[in-house]
Amino acid sequence: MFQESSSTIEILQDRAAMFRAVREFFEEKGVLEVDTPILSKTAPIDANIDILKTNATSKQVGYFHSSPEYGMKKLLAKGLGDIFQLCHVYRQGEVGALHQIEFTMLEWYRQNFSLSKLMDETKNLIFLFLGSMPYEIVKYENVFKKTFQIDPFRASLDELSKIARSHGLSSVSEQRDFYLSFLWDIAEENLGIDRLSFVTNFPASQAALSKTFKENQREYASRFECYFDGVELANGYHELTDPVEQKRRLEEENLKRISLDKEPLPLDYSFLHAIEKLSNKDFFGVAVGFDRLMMLRHNTEGIEEVVAIGWNES
Amino acid sequence: MAQISTNEFKSGQKVEIDQEPYTIVNVEFVKPGKGQAFTRVKLKHLISSRVIERTLKSGEKVEIADVEEKSMRLLYKEKEEAVFMDDVSFDQIEIPLNLIEDQAHWLKEDIVYDIVFYKGAAVGFTPPTFMELLITETAPGVRGDTASGRVLKPAILETGAKVQIPIFVDQGEKIKVDTRTGEYVSRV
Repeated sequence: MFQESSSTIEILQDRAAMFRAVREFFEEKGVLEVDTPILSKTAPIDANIDILKTNATSKQVGYFHSSPEYGMKKLLAKGLGDIFQLCHVYRQGEVGALHQIEFTMLEWYRQNFSLSKLMDETKNLIFLFLGSMPYEIVKYENVFKKTFQIDPFRASLDELSKIARSHGLSSVSEQRDFYLSFLWDIAEENLGIDRLSFVTNFPASQAALSKTFKENQREYASRFECYFDGVELANGYHELTDPVEQKRRLEEENLKRISLDKEPLPLDYSFLHAIEKLSNKDFFGVAVGFDRLMMLRHNTEGIEEVVAIGWNES
Repeated sequence: MAQISTNEFKSGQKVEIDQEPYTIVNVEFVKPGKGQAFTRVKLKHLISSRVIERTLKSGEKVEIADVEEKSMRLLYKEKEEAVFMDDVSFDQIEIPLNLIEDQAHWLKEDIVYDIVFYKGAAVGFTPPTFMELLITETAPGVRGDTASGRVLKPAILETGAKVQIPIFVDQGEKIKVDTRTGEYVSRV
């Protein structure tokens, strides 16, 4: 890890070195590099992620991917097992210290793995950037209990909104996840202090494209997030491979988009077809924010300082 | 009333949050992993100057505060209020001194100020960035102690403002002051 802030040239040289290090890391494990298209006829559907679109032809809208997930799963359906991709992804309107409209994502998939194996591999990947350090695995609900003295699964909408208000939230909602999301953002700041923190057991309502599981009569998402210094670095899933449930979730996200006054997006049937082909297989996948790792590696204020040319400078 | 979306927030804008008028000091985009995007803003209360932090759902709309600014000349200061006049219309207004306590030490007769009106009522003012004011009280300078030029001593100006001035400047002299920081700029 770099202790002093580095110059632009040093950062760009180190960026190239880290691209190489990541490729070596996966080559040694026999994980194949792939490059799926950035532009597609359909878009990943997530209520909270806005997609950039363009006129791909005079008649056809094209969408920029917000993560390579759909494309990579299509390749898994073609018979590939262990793959990784290092690519630029796009999210409309996301500009802030930890966000850029265009940023670099590292995503990989492992067949017949486990969530704990994937956490271990993610940890080793992060150590390439930050050096080795202690790590912990904590449950989402315990982070909430420690930060706000409430159980996020039991607390009423009223209680959640009261706590959120006391932490400066002005907006209101009928959705529990809205408040949980706000409070989580505050809780995150205390995660990964002097260690790497993996968080597991997210609510099933925040499963995105992961499987869910039951434990003590509660339904959880089979996924993890990883934090260092209050910054979210990775998001790992036991991948959902049930095409019916997958379609239901995409439609649900579209309904949420409509309720947020956002345009619903076309369903990607070739993606759903890919999931159908994967239905008797078992995959684990994780996405890591490459620029955030570089930011922490070089102790910069934001990710804009570690990318070649940031949005504000472009 | 006109509204503005959090996506258009910029520092300096005047907005109404929880039925109170604020100036936006700082805007930050925040987004937890898989969740909703939020806009975190630092706000300064237009009247009390108290700074608070609030978070809003990104894309949510808020009211633009009904705030107007007008240049007016200070006629005189009374015990309870300051009286200003519009040089063009000759309209006169009063601002209760308790609303402008933290700024009252920049009030000098016959100077033109930017008066801030909220919902039609005068609630505050912005002094000119630089003002030339007389030193009414300071300790005499000590000769031979000016080598570095950075040695400062306290002084009180004709408006009651307390500033730090170089040791070689004396009582009765006029100096230029930056009202944003309350710092000495130069002798006049």
